[in-house]
Amino acid sequence: MSQIVSQAAAGTVATQATVAPQAQPAAPTIASRKSCNPDGIGLSHYVLMDRKAAK
Amino acid sequence: MTAALPPEALRDPRFQPVDIGHDRYAALTDPDTAFWALVDKNRVGEGLDPATLAAYHQKADGFRQELHALRFGLKPSGVYLNPTERCNLDCTYCYLPDTQRSGGKHMPVGTLLTSLGKLRDYFRSVMPEGRKPRAIFHGAEPLMNQAAVFAAIDVFGDDFVFGLQTNGTLLDDAALDFLTSRNVSIGLSLDGPVAGITDATRRTWGGKSVHDKVLRAMEKLRGYGSWSVITTCTTENLPYLTRMVELFHAHEVPTCMLNTLRCTLPGARGVKPADGDMDKAFFAALDRSHELYRETGRKLMVANFANILIGILAPTARRLMCDISPCGGGRAFFALAADGGLYPCSEFIGLPRFNGGSLLTGGVEAALDSAAFREVTTRDVDRFSPCGDCAIRHFCGSPCPAEAFEMNGGMEKIGAFCDFYKEQVNYALRLIADGKADDYLWDGWDEGTETVFALG
Repeated sequence: MSQIVSQAAAGTVATQATVAPQAQPAAPTIASRKSCNPDGIGLSHYVLMDRKAAK
Repeated sequence: MTAALPPEALRDPRFQPVDIGHDRYAALTDPDTAFWALVDKNRVGEGLDPATLAAYHQKADGFRQELHALRFGLKPSGVYLNPTERCNLDCTYCYLPDTQRSGGKHMPVGTLLTSLGKLRDYFRSVMPEGRKPRAIFHGAEPLMNQAAVFAAIDVFGDDFVFGLQTNGTLLDDAALDFLTSRNVSIGLSLDGPVAGITDATRRTWGGKSVHDKVLRAMEKLRGYGSWSVITTCTTENLPYLTRMVELFHAHEVPTCMLNTLRCTLPGARGVKPADGDMDKAFFAALDRSHELYRETGRKLMVANFANILIGILAPTARRLMCDISPCGGGRAFFALAADGGLYPCSEFIGLPRFNGGSLLTGGVEAALDSAAFREVTTRDVDRFSPCGDCAIRHFCGSPCPAEAFEMNGGMEKIGAFCDFYKEQVNYALRLIADGKADDYLWDGWDEGTETVFALG
């Protein structure tokens, strides 16, 4: 885990060295996840984003 | 808590670091569970802090099971209906063969009604009581066979939630009244802010413009609760995406999609933008949609991006089922062709290899179990390169199997816009880092969801 994988769209996956920690306070970690019963059926030819919209 | 963790847990090898291009944050993802955390980019080499890691370990099995159920455990709850092979337009990038669109057949009204009866019975057998399946007419141009479509909506209005994706050219006042009075969700298509741009890819067989007809339909739908417009992004309209967003916002379009075109058939590949060009134009349009929201307080949902965002925040709440592997074709939904054949998705209708049999003589269950469907429903990004090592593979899904098969040579190939998907995920994670994600989602998007992990 010494390198960060860059997802930059440059055709190939590049890497960059981890920058050494700096004096400023660390940014607080953010993580979240929500869960529900899945019912999506959209595809690229059609979309209905709101789960309630057409019920 | 730190002392209780074995040293290897502090550097959990399952987590992959991702540079999201943010000035303070990088991401750590466990692709196997689609879990992510944003951490100080200067400390990403340290991995997750012990408390977060411990909390994650408590939840990881549940996340893994949830993702597995989403990817492999769904029963179909929607059908895409092609009531005709014909279309009055000859769009450059269409995924349906031109021989069908120009000289194909309509599905007879009796056949459509019989088919819907059989589909209703199937969905009743697999869906919970009280939930209606969705049935979406699209094509080709479904309103070329308007009598059959409208008869079906009237007969089966209590059994399905209906939608219609149309090019908009046949939506006269009577048709609009019929559809809106029955709460049918309506999708239109428009590729340019002005006729000259739309006409480059969407025109009649005789070469006539349809731009103004679509604008008229949009104007009539202003204020309707359930409608959207699709723009297919090509080399011809990419410089105008920001103007598209302005046009849609001005017309009070609630939801649009700025889709990459599907490269399933060769015609589409001739107007395929490069990923880097797509990134720039797409994110400029997204930025403009956000500016307009800030200026007016009214959101224009860019649904294909919103779905990427939702796939990160709440994997099971995603609405579009293209950006997941296996995709939704043949498992969350399937398609009925005008000749009565069943396909995993309409994207495959031009490819006979993927015909799973007839609805009326074989049935849905047989199609779902057919080799044709299984070829699609077993396409698993965990199992082929380069996706198998990708940190974001379950935010992307490497769509679309039809274009991977036709354009790139097989199901175990990537889709047409790998780098663009990576950049969309980076953009989405930056929005989360900046606390702006909700600006890009409709109000109340998470109603009915439960928060199962929260930090920061």
